[in-house]
Amino acid sequence: MISLQHVSKAYPLHHRMRTVLDDISLDIPPRENIGILGRNGQGKSTLLRIIAGTEQPDSGSVTRSVRVSWPIGFSGGANPVLTGEENARFVSRIYGCDVQAVTARVLEFSELGEYFYAPVRTYSSGMKARLAFAMSMAIEFDTYLIDEVIAVGDQPFQEKCREALMGQNDRSSVIIVSHNLGTIRKFSEKCAVLLKGRLQMFDDLDEAAHVYKQAQ
Amino acid sequence: MRLADALHTQYQVIHALVIRETRTRYGASSLGYLWALLEPLFWVATFYGIFAYAHRHLPGGMDVAGFITTGIIPYMLFRSVLTQTMLAINTNKPLLFYPQVKPIDLAIARILLETFTLLSVFGLILAGRGLVLGVWSIDNVLLLLGGLLLSGLLGASVGLAMMGLGVIFNGTQRWVNIVLRPMFFLSGIFFTANELPATMREYLLWNPVLHGVELARDGLFQGYIAHYADAGYIVAWIIGFTYLGLLLERLSRRRMRLA
Repeated sequence: MISLQHVSKAYPLHHRMRTVLDDISLDIPPRENIGILGRNGQGKSTLLRIIAGTEQPDSGSVTRSVRVSWPIGFSGGANPVLTGEENARFVSRIYGCDVQAVTARVLEFSELGEYFYAPVRTYSSGMKARLAFAMSMAIEFDTYLIDEVIAVGDQPFQEKCREALMGQNDRSSVIIVSHNLGTIRKFSEKCAVLLKGRLQMFDDLDEAAHVYKQAQ
Repeated sequence: MRLADALHTQYQVIHALVIRETRTRYGASSLGYLWALLEPLFWVATFYGIFAYAHRHLPGGMDVAGFITTGIIPYMLFRSVLTQTMLAINTNKPLLFYPQVKPIDLAIARILLETFTLLSVFGLILAGRGLVLGVWSIDNVLLLLGGLLLSGLLGASVGLAMMGLGVIFNGTQRWVNIVLRPMFFLSGIFFTANELPATMREYLLWNPVLHGVELARDGLFQGYIAHYADAGYIVAWIIGFTYLGLLLERLSRRRMRLA
């Protein structure tokens, strides 16, 4: 269970505080996929970072009884000086996982081959994205937090990512934020719409889509 | 139980960070860890030359190598630990995306690596001095280590505070570097507190780093007694800045924009 209670967050903008999330409460049962639909700049990524624990809300609380991933979709804390392997080792260490097993899985999933042992600064942006995604898949989370990441890499790799996430569905779940209903449809049957800092929950995707379109 | 879990996670994170920092800083060059030795060795060699040329007379039966090493290493412990800690967030910001990595972990990892490196360097130079001069005696090991560690902790606490301040005020790090520049000349690398004229000494003893240097020299040399050094004075600075630093670290967690 992931539970948000009255979560609010504001950021300074032009010397004034701009509210990004306004009193959001949300319960996500284990093994339930959920999509969060919102336009760019409406606070989707902020919400995801707060669910992850990367950022603290200004007020309200977040409780997690499952193992939640970091927000997948940023190109990763990959240090350009270090190799892909060294970066994978770091991630497995901070999650207390078996270093050998994780690096083997990252190497396999990322399809980086020899580049896995080369400094990340020699990677193309597609390769960096593959490394980042492979690192998150190599660690066993109960819930994967995804920030429109599926748009990274080439078409076959995108498919592979989606299959990997859906394939784990019996033991893990996905929370995905996107501005695109199509992306969300691929993962979840339930959807929330984030509008002006408020979150509205829908059991039906088409209903969510209707509200989302109306607001544009 | 929850505290034990939290401590275990923090241990995992700091352990991983120390390995990562070591690889980043020393792994890329073939000279590797030797770089850490080069700077202090360079200073010792330079002052060896200058002192020999200027016929500098050292009090308390101190030799030039020991004198300079007990000056430069506490100073570097203060200065490098401070700089490294201060810049911990700037250099490692992407790592804060991993929820269990907090700014304080970035700081602690750097403090540990830098302190351990400089203490090893100190040991190596001391061993080299022993081999060349045949001097192996240390008057008071605890006092020597105390002077070194307090200098490192002082750098760590000021660095932590400046790291937090840097999140709130952009120019912090540039100002710190300017303010700290004279410290090289004020911290007793070239002089001892005992030799100074009383009025000058009164002012210079405000500088806690000078106290660290004095303690280290007292610890190493049998013939030198640091009449004016006060460990409690350094500790007071450390407590003050640690308090401020932890406060600012908490504040910086909220103020920081990651995206």
